[in-house]
Amino acid sequence: MHPRTRYRLPLLITAALLLIFSLFSLSLKRSPTLKKVEALMVSLTAPGLQGLHYVGDTLKHFWQSYFYLVGVKEENAALQRRLEEFTQKEVRYQEAQQALTRLEALLDLKRQVPFPIIGARVIAYDPSLWSRCALLDQGKNQGVKPGLPVLAPGGLVGRIVETYPQYSKVMLLVDRNSGADAVVQRTRVRGVLQGKGGNRCSLEYVPKKADVQVGDLVLASGLGGVYPKGLTFGKVTQADKNKPGVFQEIEVTPAVDLSALEEVLVVKVVNLAIPEP
Amino acid sequence: MTAPLLLFSLVGLAFFYLQNLVFFPQVRLDFLGLLIFVVAWRPSLALALCLALMLGLLQDSYAATPVGLHLGGALLLVASARFCRRGLLLQQAGPQILASLGALALQEAWFQVIIIILRFQSPFTWELVTYRSLEILASAALTPLMYQLVRGLEKLLRLLGWTPLREPTSF
Repeated sequence: MHPRTRYRLPLLITAALLLIFSLFSLSLKRSPTLKKVEALMVSLTAPGLQGLHYVGDTLKHFWQSYFYLVGVKEENAALQRRLEEFTQKEVRYQEAQQALTRLEALLDLKRQVPFPIIGARVIAYDPSLWSRCALLDQGKNQGVKPGLPVLAPGGLVGRIVETYPQYSKVMLLVDRNSGADAVVQRTRVRGVLQGKGGNRCSLEYVPKKADVQVGDLVLASGLGGVYPKGLTFGKVTQADKNKPGVFQEIEVTPAVDLSALEEVLVVKVVNLAIPEP
Repeated sequence: MTAPLLLFSLVGLAFFYLQNLVFFPQVRLDFLGLLIFVVAWRPSLALALCLALMLGLLQDSYAATPVGLHLGGALLLVASARFCRRGLLLQQAGPQILASLGALALQEAWFQVIIIILRFQSPFTWELVTYRSLEILASAALTPLMYQLVRGLEKLLRLLGWTPLREPTSF
């Protein structure tokens, strides 16, 4: 065997392993170079996603407000003009009403939170199974920084983990790396809200004697200084005291549907720790 | 190699957009993995490696997992494809599906192992395993279509004047 061919495979395997483990190492040390590579990749590809979102929405709107009515026109020629006019008006009205409802809810939330806030749109999700995060259309240039909490009208969404010039990445509450100090509203029992992947979280380190029931609201405790105190994380959907161990097994479903976010608010204050009175 | 790399990267990006805009969050079909796997059957190893690097980095950039997880998975697919093309008749649908099923399962095992090592906790639940197994099966079933797509794109490139460095050998 030719020496070049003979050493090719071991060399390739060694090079690949070196590359992967160097990347892991740099990534875990949060290397700025690696972050720049990530930022470049996101900046190059995210505008396409944003554009396709826009095109998709436009086509959907066009389909709903015009093409769908072509069949009706054939069957109801006499009524077509009026029907089309009213249907288009209705679609526009419903769209406007839905947008108004969403924006009113955001505005209400903005009034409730005593911190400077900026609005952002969710333009993409991480489609992989291994993490739960979303990409926002506001970035470093708009004042978004890592660590900032993100809210939606229903409650908390997550926190910013990466920022790029025009975009930022938010780690959702349900990501397995997400953890936050939480309190059960009814009984003031405290625990750590831990992401579980999918659309679930769990409330960890709650002793078995603590009173937690299905339907209890779980709120941010304000400790830890990331999430504003009193905002909703979610609702207890399962509380099991029969499991072995000293703690209960409590499942919490986020108050916000984290797979269908459209507009969110980013709180522009990194440290939100509120001193207890 | 630049023209096919550019074209396959664009196709990969289109699949990524499709996954993100259409299938998310209901289904996670591994289009990118399949594309890398099928391209790695072709004679050019350099093309497969570069494509794996590009698409692996693309997936890593959008994920909150450490950079290298998807890249490693992509390189593993290239290695599996190179191994398979030695021993299987990959022009028929059956062996194609079997080969990609094995490779995607291996990639999944890689993800599980690395996640457990790096996060010190297991994301392993029966619910997850069931859903993922079905998704891998569905992805593998699409291999013949992906194969035809890659062949079609190569034909298109040849029509546009691209000549491969060497003629592809039979699968």
